[in-house]
Amino acid sequence: MVSLRIFFIGGLMSYRAMFGWMNPWIFVPALLVSPICQILLFAFIGRSAGVGDDEFYVIGNALNYAAIPCLFAMASTIAGERFSQTLGLVIATPARRVPLFLGRALPVIANGWGVAMFGVVVGSLLLDTDIPTSAWPLIALVVAVGSLSSTGLGLVMGAINLVYREGATLGNVLFLVLLIFTGTNVALDDLPGWMAAVGRCLPLTHAIEATRMLGDGATWGAVRGLVATELLIGLAYVVVGLSSIRVLERLSRSGATLDRI
Amino acid sequence: MPSRDPGRTVARVPLTDTPAVQARDLRRTFRSRSGIWRQTRSEVEAVKGVSFEIAPGELFGLLGPNGAGKTTTIKMLITLLIPTSGSASVLGRDVVTDVREVRSRIGYVFGGDRGLYERLTGLDNLRYFSELYGVPPREQRARIGSLLELVGLTGREGEKVEGYSRGMRQRLHIARGLLHDPDVFFLDEPSIGIDPVGARELRATIAGLRDQGKTVLLTTHYMFEADELCDRIAVIRSGEIVAEGTPDELKELVSAGRVLEVETYGVHDHVLDRLRVVPGVRSVVVEERGQLQVLVVASEPGAEVTQPVLGGLDETRVGRVSHRDPTLEDAYVELVTRTGA
Repeated sequence: MVSLRIFFIGGLMSYRAMFGWMNPWIFVPALLVSPICQILLFAFIGRSAGVGDDEFYVIGNALNYAAIPCLFAMASTIAGERFSQTLGLVIATPARRVPLFLGRALPVIANGWGVAMFGVVVGSLLLDTDIPTSAWPLIALVVAVGSLSSTGLGLVMGAINLVYREGATLGNVLFLVLLIFTGTNVALDDLPGWMAAVGRCLPLTHAIEATRMLGDGATWGAVRGLVATELLIGLAYVVVGLSSIRVLERLSRSGATLDRI
Repeated sequence: MPSRDPGRTVARVPLTDTPAVQARDLRRTFRSRSGIWRQTRSEVEAVKGVSFEIAPGELFGLLGPNGAGKTTTIKMLITLLIPTSGSASVLGRDVVTDVREVRSRIGYVFGGDRGLYERLTGLDNLRYFSELYGVPPREQRARIGSLLELVGLTGREGEKVEGYSRGMRQRLHIARGLLHDPDVFFLDEPSIGIDPVGARELRATIAGLRDQGKTVLLTTHYMFEADELCDRIAVIRSGEIVAEGTPDELKELVSAGRVLEVETYGVHDHVLDRLRVVPGVRSVVVEERGQLQVLVVASEPGAEVTQPVLGGLDETRVGRVSHRDPTLEDAYVELVTRTGA
């Protein structure tokens, strides 16, 4: 019961505490206007170069942008606490770490899902893509799985923040890695073999591929393998993140890194 | 005649069967590296073998200058730092191996503005930590209400913390630390930066904790605060405990002598050096008070140092001269300014 309350209520309160500054004047340009700009940029590059179609870029970039809230918000739940010097107080509580940190992930996944869905819907309207109406419920589900797997990677980044205060800068690099390696703008088949192999181990790759297939009219049976793989990859990152938190929390106690802000 | 050995323990710790807090030869070394190509490593031994015990229900003060090792000692006791060597326990639980048990029975409050969720209300800050400490939902409302009453924040709990004064923040910290009704409470300079009225209210709150039977470890720079509140005090200097005892016992370190205060204007260091070797003088400390420098001269018991000291000030403009009995602050200053451990 205590762990459930920490997971749901604690997670939501922590999210409010960390992102209470996120008013509409910040949220709209940062998380709604920016992904649309990214979608339009790559769609028009594609048009002028005569490669790909608009739907390819809408889906790829909309899902890719879910990584912004998922990576940065998840990492910030630790980095932000470090800056406000509440991290030591939270760590000094007997709360179990799995619900404590996973509870923080739940609102982040919802945020990432909302940003990506907004990108797909508005991008489709702006560029007049032809996604079948029947595909939208499954697209919403696949985007949720993609957001979960990105948040798993964000959890690993958060764990790193327990020891390295510059851990948040890693997010910028990871976002670009995802942009290139997940097939967001260049299909995996067109990437060198080693890049495609790396991409297959990253979050979002399989979700992007599955969403594109759904947009082209594929059935659930055709994409469920990709969705399951995306989910497994996401859970693997969550497990790595939680294990890292356990190890790095101990390292932070021996290395006295919690107070460095 | 009392010993002048600064390492002397004035009163032996009252050993009990189950001390609330026990530290045994606790040490903590910080290692750091700097540079990328040519890395330089440095080591600082912040705590050098600290040992003490705190009995259940005791209010124990840990006094020392900045950088003496007070906060590092507390952080080891509250499980946020692993000791480099030595051992410590809280309520019989080891602070390194029994981490969850220790954390569930202690409260921790530090001074200053930080450590609160600025964009949440005071009430939400308390609700969040209630969840983390597993306070049953049915008890939360009543517990938070009574703590808000205790720290004088009733009626202000719905406001965001970013609008709180420093004193209000500090009182909210205390309420947060008490949410789970801990048996042992660690207060690290809780009154720092608080105005006199707020500090007085805080002292009353801390005294109330002792009356409730809580064990409290308090660090502070304010001697009157320690004198008023603490049952026993340990003075820590450069990572080592240099004296330990009740406030009265610590005062006795210098109380066998007297304190001579001399107001001067523009006293020079070489004059101070001359005064420090006057027979019968234990220590000379300068307190800056605006344009005045007040020389606080502690003397040996029975020594008459007034005339030799005034004689040594023949080149210096001298104001009022007075004598008084030593205070805890005199004992503290003497302990932490003596050279050599």
